[in-house]
Amino acid sequence: MNRQTKEIIIKYIFLLFALVSVIVLGLIVFSLFREGLPLFTEVSVKDFLFGMEWYPTYDPPSFGIFPLIVGSLIVTLLATFIAVPLGVMAAIYISEIAPQAIKETLKSVIELLAGLPSVVLGFFGMVIVAPWMQETFDLPTGLNIVNASVILAIMAIPTISSISEDALYAVPREFKDASYALGATKFETIVKVILPAAMSGISTAVMLGMARAIGETMVVLMVAGGAAAIPESLFDSVRPMPASIAAEMGETPYRSSHYSALFAIGIVLFCLTLAFNLIADYVSHKFRQIGSGTL
Amino acid sequence: MESNAIISINRVNFYYGAVRALTDISMKFRKNKVTALIGPSGCGKSTLLRLLNRMNDLIDGTRVEGEILFEGQNIYAPDVDPVEIRRKIGMVFQKPNPFPKTIYNNIAYGPKLTGVNAGDLDALVEQSLKQAVLWDEVKDIMSKSAMNLSGGQQQRLCIARALAMKPDILLMDEPTSALDPISTAKIEELIEELKKDYTIIIVTHNMQQAARISDETAFFYIGNLIEYNKTEKIFTKPEVKQTEDYITGRFG
Repeated sequence: MNRQTKEIIIKYIFLLFALVSVIVLGLIVFSLFREGLPLFTEVSVKDFLFGMEWYPTYDPPSFGIFPLIVGSLIVTLLATFIAVPLGVMAAIYISEIAPQAIKETLKSVIELLAGLPSVVLGFFGMVIVAPWMQETFDLPTGLNIVNASVILAIMAIPTISSISEDALYAVPREFKDASYALGATKFETIVKVILPAAMSGISTAVMLGMARAIGETMVVLMVAGGAAAIPESLFDSVRPMPASIAAEMGETPYRSSHYSALFAIGIVLFCLTLAFNLIADYVSHKFRQIGSGTL
Repeated sequence: MESNAIISINRVNFYYGAVRALTDISMKFRKNKVTALIGPSGCGKSTLLRLLNRMNDLIDGTRVEGEILFEGQNIYAPDVDPVEIRRKIGMVFQKPNPFPKTIYNNIAYGPKLTGVNAGDLDALVEQSLKQAVLWDEVKDIMSKSAMNLSGGQQQRLCIARALAMKPDILLMDEPTSALDPISTAKIEELIEELKKDYTIIIVTHNMQQAARISDETAFFYIGNLIEYNKTEKIFTKPEVKQTEDYITGRFG
């Protein structure tokens, strides 16, 4: 076999391996839609997405997932509000301010946080945060939106922090020098030069952190409380979409309408995370092309 | 060379960690003159330049001995705020480094830090750009990103940005080494113009440039100041053999 043939064979072997993940993703999406779409012969898309009642086991059942969507969005948003300042500020501290020794320690601790299994965090939320919250604020239950959001935020912080940190490191030394040479303090340089220049990367980090939070199952299953109703306060229980799927999948008959409905929820979740990823991608490309010129 | 010194360096040693980059430097820079610092790479001329506005403070593990007097005050005295020094001693870097902001905001960046009010800002921006002979080229695109300008325009923008702080001294670290000959000529003309109002200290690798634009020239070699004199003297009758070897291209 001559050298050229070998090169070609090697090239195709690598192509094959690269294609594996694409093919697997394609198959998963295909089966998701194959199992989920039959639901819409019984329920209209509108009733499914905006229906207020999720009673899949009643007779007749009702498959309105609006409370579940609201549950997912609200815990994700609140988790984002908590995780973004913490994650971004940690990233700023690590990349711009901390002395070398602290920097290394902090980075590895945050990476360790990323490695915590979500079920362990769920346990923590269930056994420690929930009873404390219930007693301290005199609530009917400690398994609620705030609890779930806090735990989700803890999960999203490592994602947000490490991607933001990369973005901050990527800000050219020249910008910082220029700012210092004009008599800016470290704080002014961070706020007015480094942060705007890293904004695309930080936005990507936020989006990916949100995608992580919205798809997270175990935590919301354990600590969100599981009530499929529109919450009236932040201390109400909710039933985010992934929790619903995980909790109910074991009890549904194969290919029943409840079964299809759970897959349809999967489709909605898939679309949401896809949207987050596309937005993250768009934001980072957009900023990269024009520079953050108008900031 | 005693008269009207704006900066006096007295017996300065500078270390990067354990490595001594400058050895026992003493010299004076004169007001409203262009002083060129020349010498082969690694001779310490850029290090010296960055000492003058305390930019070396930003590098970990550096240490300064001796004193640098700016208008009679030691800028390395413990009670001196480097931020104040940098506002009075501006700097232009080797690679044009505009911020990824609009042209207007690039110039306004420094003055805004010092609290120049919005009404005076427009005039200051215009004046600075005119001083840097860039106004006519950019006056209609002030709200465009500075990143869209050519390399030469970017460098003049950086000069305008430094001038907007109304500094006493302008430090230039090989400001034309990344530019084409035409842009270089424009910057050199500009330096000629600016020396009426500013003291300019310029590091350059280009000996013709040093000869063309400077009034005084200092030659450095491996961290030592070898010779410092009027430019025409250095380039016609250098007193030290090493200087002569360097400017005639025998080494470096």
